[in-house]
Amino acid sequence: MKNGFLVFLASLIALGGSWCGFVLAPVLQLGGGKQTTILNSSGLYPVDRPGMANQGLQVYRANGCAACHTEQVQQSGVACDVVLTGAGKNPEVVTNLISSLKLNGLDKDLADALVDKITAAGGKAEIRIVATGPDIDRGWGRRHSVAEDFLYDDPVQLGNLRIGPDLADVGMRQPDANWQLVHLYAPQSEVKGSAMPPFRYLFRVKKIGSAPSPDALAFPKDFGPPAGYEVVPAPQAQELAVYLLSLHADVPLHNAPFSQSAAVFKP
Amino acid sequence: MSANETSGSGELSSFGGASSLSRSAVIPARRLVNSLVPPDNISPAEIDHSCCVPMLALFGGAAFWLVVCSVLGLVASIKFHAPDFLANCVWLTYGRLQPAADDALLYGFCLPAGLGVALWLLARLSQTTLRGIVVPIAAANLWHLGVFVGLAAILIGDGTGFAWLEFPRGGSVPIFFAYLMLALWATMIFAGRRERAMYPSQWFLLAALFWFPWIYSTANLFLVAWPVRGVAQAVIGWWFAGNLLVVWTGLIGLGAAFYFLPKFTGRPLQSHYLALFGFWTFILFATWCGIPPGAPVPVWMPTLSAVAAAWLLVPLLAIFLVVWQTVRGSIMPNWNNTSFCFIGAGVDSFLLSGLMLMAMACPQISRVTDFTWFGPAETQLRLYGFFAMTMFGAIYHLLPRVVGLEFPFPKLARAHFWLSLAGVALLVVPLAIGGVVQGLKWQNPNAIAFADTTKAMLPFLRVSTTGLLLMLLGNLLLFVNIMGLTLRWKLALLKQFTAFVKSPLAETSAGASLRDEKEAQA
Amino acid sequence: MSDELKSSTPQTPDAEPAVSRSTVPIWIIVLTLMLLFLGMVYFDHHGGWFNSQVYGPYASSEELELYQPKSGEAAILARGKARYDQVCGLCHGVDGLGKPGQAPPLAGSEWVDTRGIQRFVSIPLGGVSGQLSVKGQTWSLSMPAMGAAMSDADLADVLTYIHSSWGNKQGPVTADDVKAIRAKLGAHPQPFTDETLKALPQ
Repeated sequence: MKNGFLVFLASLIALGGSWCGFVLAPVLQLGGGKQTTILNSSGLYPVDRPGMANQGLQVYRANGCAACHTEQVQQSGVACDVVLTGAGKNPEVVTNLISSLKLNGLDKDLADALVDKITAAGGKAEIRIVATGPDIDRGWGRRHSVAEDFLYDDPVQLGNLRIGPDLADVGMRQPDANWQLVHLYAPQSEVKGSAMPPFRYLFRVKKIGSAPSPDALAFPKDFGPPAGYEVVPAPQAQELAVYLLSLHADVPLHNAPFSQSAAVFKP
Repeated sequence: MSANETSGSGELSSFGGASSLSRSAVIPARRLVNSLVPPDNISPAEIDHSCCVPMLALFGGAAFWLVVCSVLGLVASIKFHAPDFLANCVWLTYGRLQPAADDALLYGFCLPAGLGVALWLLARLSQTTLRGIVVPIAAANLWHLGVFVGLAAILIGDGTGFAWLEFPRGGSVPIFFAYLMLALWATMIFAGRRERAMYPSQWFLLAALFWFPWIYSTANLFLVAWPVRGVAQAVIGWWFAGNLLVVWTGLIGLGAAFYFLPKFTGRPLQSHYLALFGFWTFILFATWCGIPPGAPVPVWMPTLSAVAAAWLLVPLLAIFLVVWQTVRGSIMPNWNNTSFCFIGAGVDSFLLSGLMLMAMACPQISRVTDFTWFGPAETQLRLYGFFAMTMFGAIYHLLPRVVGLEFPFPKLARAHFWLSLAGVALLVVPLAIGGVVQGLKWQNPNAIAFADTTKAMLPFLRVSTTGLLLMLLGNLLLFVNIMGLTLRWKLALLKQFTAFVKSPLAETSAGASLRDEKEAQA
Repeated sequence: MSDELKSSTPQTPDAEPAVSRSTVPIWIIVLTLMLLFLGMVYFDHHGGWFNSQVYGPYASSEELELYQPKSGEAAILARGKARYDQVCGLCHGVDGLGKPGQAPPLAGSEWVDTRGIQRFVSIPLGGVSGQLSVKGQTWSLSMPAMGAAMSDADLADVLTYIHSSWGNKQGPVTADDVKAIRAKLGAHPQPFTDETLKALPQ
């Protein structure tokens, strides 16, 4: 190129293009901050976290938890399960039919055909949508994370390294505040061989007064403080625990559908 | 005066019919540019000498931050083997140490070193000296102040929480303005150049000068100052990180490589058009490679990034061809040239990290490598193996010429090369392999517990910690050399000053008349 | 200057590098064009076409709609729509607007959009022949008894779907309704004509 202006123009076009694509367009598409409705319900999602949980998010950010933990569940696919909901007049025929069929992990066409077969045999069947993938199988969530899950987060702490497990749904997996606090104080007491450092500076070890304080942590054997002492969480630790308990992303949405489990008919 | 000015006034007379407003705008701009055009016959040594103090300011601070980064990174890495190590100190918790180490590398070393090399390269290629050096020196000091404030903020818990953008306002604002000052100075050097035809390196460097202010200001405005809502924050963060770590470092590093490799081998760069093709395709495609696959955003965004990463093969091939055709056959004769070795290793790392980037964007592979150590391996290979090593090669070449003095320990440069090469290899290879192992284990959630995959990573982490140690030693050698050179330079200045003060009366006119009298008597 | 730092070029030590002007090899241009094409095809298949609702692993909004779980009324309508598209939509149109020369519209038709369902259910069970006036236009076609082969539940789903689509705002048709009307018509009913239809109660 002959002059600097052409270089400037080339850079402007290149960077301007990606700015439009990855700055402007996402802000227009996702920055509106709208809630969405839960599938097959009139409930709105998400609901803003309580104030203490938002402060916990700031503790999470200040201690760099996102350096080791992600908050995004991934889903590698979707499948249909065919589930019997009624046996009709000939239960033996229906049970004979389904005993020879594969009913789980099907794609939609196959599932529809199976439902037709069962209906033709006189039974009633429904299709359940399930998410598939290693994260789902490990119980880290019931569906992949979507934009609505992070609507009220500032800053969004997605993380990009899993030295520790994913935390998108940890409020469902570990709903006990004491477990969360003990894990922060002494991770190896709850998870053997954990590489997580102990966050003892978020707690205070003090002598037990006339009565144990209500906030004191209950430790597993061999991991507690010496006799006569108790471990009390500082405000930051409590906020962090409330934040962690508020982390769940397990409602079905239009852009991340799955069937909530319902009563399954057993003939 | 030079020919430019006479032609300028000749053109001016043809503007007779133009409005007075445009004429008054044209005259001052032309005069300003012409005043930047130096008189003929400036020697390279003069250009080098004019850059002396800004280079020392930039590179000296950069070498310091590099050592800081290595220390912080080493401590962070040790915490994997002993989670209790320094665990009670809130400032040294892993979640603050690792981002601080990363930012010290990027903002403390990579950016100022890159700007210094760019400034020198543009001065040499424009065949003009660096004037008004008080501005670049002030910018360098402002930069290092900003980095210090930013790193301190991260360690006390005031980091913003965005990867590669953790400096709060106290750090990011000084850095931004320091960059603008340095970029403006470099652009003015370029605008006043005598050789009007552009050498390929100049395209790369100019594009880089333009790139950073836009991405840095966008990221800070949309994420820190007036944060956008929801996951759009993550998308902008990924866009920024991709453009800084891949495009900006690529532009500066390749600009330096395309200058030094032909210079060292004595062969012309092969070729102008291939380098142009590589430049265009690189900035067009690499700027879109940021969004990881499987991200919690509408699927068009990761798909665009994946497609752009596949298209990245074209600029990688073009750059490989340019470098290969230029140095082919000249590698062994230049083996003793440490700068050549550094830059050669740098370009190899660029190509390898480019391939790793392409692999990570491919859905079948990303299913295994997502969230594993493979990502940090690619980043370290790119930032350290490619960019830092290219900067080392440039610094070892230009700093002695710029200061006019040799390094105090020239042989340590070779030791630095071997330590860096071994360090990068020991850091990147285990992390990459370990990442793949980790990812493969994660594909069996029912068979392998998550805690077991963490344990399986420990042997790999042990080797990578050793790599970090070697890198720290190498960086200490560079720091010692630059500090020693600065001291030598200051001592030389001191000697000059005392020599001037002590200069004998024979130099003065009174002394001259005394001497004449003595000769007349003798 | 020590050996390690000196450049080993034969020309003047500090000359600026030169650049050659050989052309770009054609194969890299061809490769670029191929990659551009393949990339665009890939985006077409996997990119969800900028839809804000389509997230990975879904590749398009059609796929996303396919995997929405249905419950209750939504399920009936989904089943009815699927069956309608298969059986009735070929002639009456997937949009219910009919096809000139083939079948009259169902949207807003006085035979469809009524509270009473006798005539509405009888038509698919018996078929129609001869002249029939629909929305002011006279149609002279013959419709086979498309619903005779369907089960009560299936036909009920289809009719419920027709009753609540394209502006029609009527209530659902249950399988029992269909069963009762089928019983009244007998095993092999004659195709209806204008008079016999009007003879039926609403």
